[in-house]
Amino acid sequence: MTEAVVDVRELRKTFRVTEREEGLAATLRSFVKRRRKDVNAVAGITFRIDPGEIVGFLGPNGAGKTTTLKMLSGLLYPSAGDAKVLGYVPWRRENAYLGLMTLLMGNRTQLVWDIPAADSFRVLQEIYRIPEDRFRAAVNELTELLELQELVHKPVRNLSLGERMKVEFAAGLIHSPSVAFLDEPTIGLDISMQVRIRRFVAEYNRRTGATILLTSHYMDDVVALCKRVIVIHRGRLLYDGPLADLAERMAPYKIITATLHDGAAPSTDLDSYGTVVSRDEGRVMLRVDRQVAPERTARLVNDLGDRLADISVEDPPIEEIIDRVFTSEQATVSA
Amino acid sequence: MTRYLRLLRLFFRAELQYELEYRLNFVLEIVETAVVTATSVGAVLILFSYTTVLNGWDLGAMLVLLGCFYLVQGFGEFALQPSFEKFLENVRLGTLDFALLKPASPQFQVTLRYFRVAQLAQMALGAVVVAVGLSRIPAIGLAEAIGFPIALICGFVLIYALLVALSTFAFWFVRVDNLMALYWSFMDAGRFPVDVYPGWLRVTLSSAVPIGVAVTVPAQVIAGRLDPLGLGFLILGTIAAFILASRFWRIGLRSYTGASA
Amino acid sequence: MIRTYRALLVAQLQAASQYRVQVLLWMLFSVIRPVIFLAAWVAVANAQGGQIGTYDVRDFAAYYICLSLVSCLTASWNAYEFEYEVRFGRLSPKLLRPLHPIHYAVVENLVAKLTQIVPLSIVLVFISITFDARFRTTPAHVLLFVPSVMLAAALSFLSGWVLATTAFWTTRVHSVSTFWDRAAFIFAGQIAPLALLPGPLQAISLALPFGYVLGVPAEILRGGVSPSTALLLMAGQAIWLAIFFVAFQRVWRAGVRQYSGVGA
Repeated sequence: MTEAVVDVRELRKTFRVTEREEGLAATLRSFVKRRRKDVNAVAGITFRIDPGEIVGFLGPNGAGKTTTLKMLSGLLYPSAGDAKVLGYVPWRRENAYLGLMTLLMGNRTQLVWDIPAADSFRVLQEIYRIPEDRFRAAVNELTELLELQELVHKPVRNLSLGERMKVEFAAGLIHSPSVAFLDEPTIGLDISMQVRIRRFVAEYNRRTGATILLTSHYMDDVVALCKRVIVIHRGRLLYDGPLADLAERMAPYKIITATLHDGAAPSTDLDSYGTVVSRDEGRVMLRVDRQVAPERTARLVNDLGDRLADISVEDPPIEEIIDRVFTSEQATVSA
Repeated sequence: MTRYLRLLRLFFRAELQYELEYRLNFVLEIVETAVVTATSVGAVLILFSYTTVLNGWDLGAMLVLLGCFYLVQGFGEFALQPSFEKFLENVRLGTLDFALLKPASPQFQVTLRYFRVAQLAQMALGAVVVAVGLSRIPAIGLAEAIGFPIALICGFVLIYALLVALSTFAFWFVRVDNLMALYWSFMDAGRFPVDVYPGWLRVTLSSAVPIGVAVTVPAQVIAGRLDPLGLGFLILGTIAAFILASRFWRIGLRSYTGASA
Repeated sequence: MIRTYRALLVAQLQAASQYRVQVLLWMLFSVIRPVIFLAAWVAVANAQGGQIGTYDVRDFAAYYICLSLVSCLTASWNAYEFEYEVRFGRLSPKLLRPLHPIHYAVVENLVAKLTQIVPLSIVLVFISITFDARFRTTPAHVLLFVPSVMLAAALSFLSGWVLATTAFWTTRVHSVSTFWDRAAFIFAGQIAPLALLPGPLQAISLALPFGYVLGVPAEILRGGVSPSTALLLMAGQAIWLAIFFVAFQRVWRAGVRQYSGVGA
């Protein structure tokens, strides 16, 4: 077994939330007497990531994804548990470690608003002590991959959201980190920009072999990039494994889509094959239990005969699986 | 160390480029500081139209003091205020992360990041006023000539250290802009020698808000009123203030990242 | 109108009660500078045997304490806020309402002063004890002070609005206010009581509006001028107020036209 790049054991983070009022007087008062509440943001999770992997980190808002990423990048001290990234304990924030990793947050900017990105890159070169030739090479490569040519010489405030994100990426990767934590890297971007960022991440991983842990609300990102996903909910790990198996584990059913020549006459009784999910313009979608899916499909083909134009059997869309997991989890918790 | 100097040069150059984009604003800001300095000199001249000496300070020494005041205040507005404003904003918005993720001193990245280049004019004008004041002082010894820049730099560092200490409270209380505003307005008292003020104010100006020390002492040095021992104490006190403030800041930062929670 | 004002007043008071600490700090701003110059004049007077012109050390104390009170009561800070509102389009919704935006500012201004007056008085009593201030105030002076400070506040407020209105044409209101403030620094009675401004400066200060905002009411409250002189000075206040009233109406109308022309 290879040495894991990210090795997390029983990691926990409990926030003590102070209910605070506005103003110095109120703050001083609450200095003496505070109303506090403990929130378990991360309730003990364990996982490992091997070199060069791209892992999707999934979960609804408030599941503890960002908190975990912040601990792994050294921004937060955990309440308990261990984590090692590249052999370093992140929250010691050793310069050697900080020089080997990056945390990119889609809704944050680290670039200075009023100056061109190229100037910010120079600053980063000094901070990360990047030798001139390596710096040039990195800038050229990122410029090519992200198509930055003109963008880096405009003040950041003049860039569009998508352009800014591309430049952000370049700034975050200019020191060629071996580990990248990407928190919602495509948030707020239009579809075509999402696709380009996605393509870039894949290409970057292929070229440099960097290990990437990524969170995203857009399942397309995850499907396109990650062979493996880690799902957490309410600070606990629900699933860790291949994306392909997620459906099997989490959703015990498949979707059969049948297209009929005659436009699925309402008289046709399909309920005996499975639960009808949708039915429009000659296309019927049925939900059936995973185990009986082959048999039901065969029966459908048999029974419908010539009326059938097309039939397919698929896992339900990943969003649906995730959504199902979380809502059912919620249901059991609240029950 | 040289890396930090190179970084400072990059920060400065970026800010200069930005400010020069808005040429008219740049020029106006310089004109503003010129008007402010000129009217302050006018105020001193009005006072001295009724007397030749103010608490033992003659007009020459008084102009040196006023020049030091603008050197120190100019330094504050040129090098400190912009970064500290941004720092407080980052704490308030929770966007301080960027400085913690990089392999360089967070305190450096946060507190010396931004500049307002046009305010260099204020320092330059302060230097002019000092020079005018000096021309009225008969002779300046070598000791004074060496001691003056040392005392002045100590003044800059003292102001910086106090700002660092004060801004550290932001890690716990988040909103401390008012505290900072009060600090800057107390700075105004530096335009007169600290010994003209009544006891309670004098104590405040020499300790809590060290503008009195930062401005009065360099002026005292050049007017030949401070012995080497006093200068020695100033240097030691400045170093101590810097170290203590930095340490306090680091404690604040650690609680911000939840080390103690 | 009265009812509108009452509603605005209540809303503003509620808002102000959330910013109590800010109120205290802003109150200190109107104290700091007078105390600085008071200390300087005390040093000058002491060097000259305790007397400068008609002022001795205790007169200076009384003057600067009155000045501090007046500068709190006449403070006007609209220029900065107004520029902000114009630049970020916050003004438009206010222009749509059937009430001139100046009324919001009037109420805000009044409320700020109401909340500051009590803590300020405490600080000023403390300072007048420290400096052993001697007031020459008679009941007549108090009677004259009330309308005088009201004139001064109105004058300061309206001139502040005329300055603020320049935001319709320029984004550099900050520069304009700086020059205005520095002129006030020299001519309003901050660096010296108006009577002590040397030679031509004194005549100039009486021809400019600045002294009528700060120095004049302060001298009246201190009892530093005779009631008849006070009335004369108040006439000066009234004239400047009238000038700024007319100026404000003209500038405002032209400004709004300019603003809506830009289509912001």
